[in-house]
Amino acid sequence: MTTTTTAAPVLSMTGVSKRFGAVQALKDIEFSVDAGEVVALVGDNGAGKSTLVKTIAGVYTPDEGQVNFAGSPVSIGSPAEAQELGIATVFQDLALCDNLDVVGNLFLGSELLHKGALDEVTMEKESWRLLRELSAKIPSVRIAVASLSGGQRQTVAIARSLLGKPKVVMLDEPTAALGVAQTAEVLNLVERLRENGLGVILISHNMSDVMAVADRVVVLRLGRNNGVFRVAETTNQEIIAAITGATTNAVSARAARKAHQEDQP
Amino acid sequence: MPAPGSQASLREMNRLRVLDTVREHGALTQVEIAGVTGLSAATVSNVVKELDSAGAVILSPSIRNGRRAVRVSLAASTGLIGAVVFGDRDVRVVIGTGGKEIVAQKRMPLPADHAADEGIDRGARLIHELIAHSGHMPSDVRAVGVGLPAPIDTVTGLVGSNGILPGWRGVDVRAVMQEALGTQVLLDNTANLAALGEAKFGALQGVSTGVFIKASYGVGAGLILGGEVFRGSAGTAGEIGHVTIDENGPVCRCGNRGCLDTFVGAQAVLTALRATHGSLTLRDVISRALDGDAGCRRVLEDSGRHVGVAVAGVVNLLNPEVVVLGGQVSRLGEIVLQPMREAIERCAIPSAAATVDVRVGVLDPDVADAVGALALADQVREDADRAALLVGQP
Repeated sequence: MTTTTTAAPVLSMTGVSKRFGAVQALKDIEFSVDAGEVVALVGDNGAGKSTLVKTIAGVYTPDEGQVNFAGSPVSIGSPAEAQELGIATVFQDLALCDNLDVVGNLFLGSELLHKGALDEVTMEKESWRLLRELSAKIPSVRIAVASLSGGQRQTVAIARSLLGKPKVVMLDEPTAALGVAQTAEVLNLVERLRENGLGVILISHNMSDVMAVADRVVVLRLGRNNGVFRVAETTNQEIIAAITGATTNAVSARAARKAHQEDQP
Repeated sequence: MPAPGSQASLREMNRLRVLDTVREHGALTQVEIAGVTGLSAATVSNVVKELDSAGAVILSPSIRNGRRAVRVSLAASTGLIGAVVFGDRDVRVVIGTGGKEIVAQKRMPLPADHAADEGIDRGARLIHELIAHSGHMPSDVRAVGVGLPAPIDTVTGLVGSNGILPGWRGVDVRAVMQEALGTQVLLDNTANLAALGEAKFGALQGVSTGVFIKASYGVGAGLILGGEVFRGSAGTAGEIGHVTIDENGPVCRCGNRGCLDTFVGAQAVLTALRATHGSLTLRDVISRALDGDAGCRRVLEDSGRHVGVAVAGVVNLLNPEVVVLGGQVSRLGEIVLQPMREAIERCAIPSAAATVDVRVGVLDPDVADAVGALALADQVREDADRAALLVGQP
């Protein structure tokens, strides 16, 4: 763990916009995450969360704006480039192969070789090391992923994302389909990633999960920034108001104007 | 105890290894146990047979990969007991067969200032999932101890202060929990529970007059008088965090001014570090202080000094043999103990200060209060068993 937090953010984006034909998906987005910080990204359906995630992951390239990674400007042209930089993404569907065992899934596409054959021994040892680092509770690494619980599958997917030694890990709806015990496991995992000095971007609809582990909450609304909140200094209600736009609708704006006029007779 | 290195001690080790594995992962098949422990399938089979004949595990038929297999789960001959302990930022849930025989445990982070129904709901569902996962039925649970980081009024059963734990104000936690879990529930303050845990299995074992100080997000104390936890006339004994240190000090969440909590609670520690270190959590501050960060160390040393001043008062009143420091802050060991000792020596009556032994708790701060809650539930189960014997029921 580093001894200062006032360092530059690992990943920062300024003025990022993305347009799909007539649809302005993202407009002037500001976003950053520090090392050892959990930033939650929340917003209503169609707010632009997925587009922003895919922009960070290298699936989309932004039309405008600047992306800095570890202090220097970068352009992320493809998912492979993002991974090389040190941005790991765990998508909602986890992209695991049900018929392969845990080791097979962890090293899929980056198998270790020994004299031209698969180096099963090293891969299995490395798998146990990774899972232990996450204090993961998986009974066997030679068990088919199909027979694991939702939380365990999430753990395998997160462990796989850590193979390339990333600096930022992005989790898309990690607790969406999980029971409470598995949610507890994933939230503990998020805390562990943070303690290991990684920047974590957490996309979630569950406010109590967000408030439990995040340091900062970034709210998107209709493709724009609609507030950044420090969890220690905010409430559930304030964030939900920002998500739904309850703070800036026509009624509240009129009420504010009226109050303003009454103040100055 | 078999001789070290002998065949018998090896078998003993393997038995423990298998038991630990089942405890950690819940019910497993023998093949899975072999995978986790690294023991051969034949050894596991033998060990499981021994454990079964000793009554330590239950075997049930199951199917794995289309083949018949044997599922191994921990035995709970006299029923299970449980513990649900709330911290300011998490809930920890444990089920066990006795005070220290833990079958399964889980921790879940919670939002700061969460509402009671959210905490209760998550705690109850975690207990249910742990029971199911370890291969037992909800009806196997005989009693559950529940801990809250706030004073509990034993007369009304409510949280004894409106400002502490605001989300839990006016909730009859015992009744609601009892309904959610379908079993008997006992409610106590987490500092009292941790003191009970240390008294049963830790640093306060066999101590007749002792003080347990819990320093985490807030500060609390559990008093051991005559070897028993002392709760006072209405359960509020040991609220050392709300002892006034400075009459003109900052306003505390309890509504008074200058309480110890406003000097050493997480809020005070984190505010002191915000200008130089940015936004941290208490766990960050503790791990950085252990790594040698001077600022974090200084703030926590000051906490130790303030706690020492307040404890000096308790030392004068009770003349305890032992003062045990627990809670997250106790992970720092001598870094906080030293200034705390100095303050006690300076502020307490020399004869009382000279005889008191100030040390760190033996139990892990994350489990001490849960162990205490288990011990409380264990007591209730035992009493019920004894009562049933008297009446002549099985």
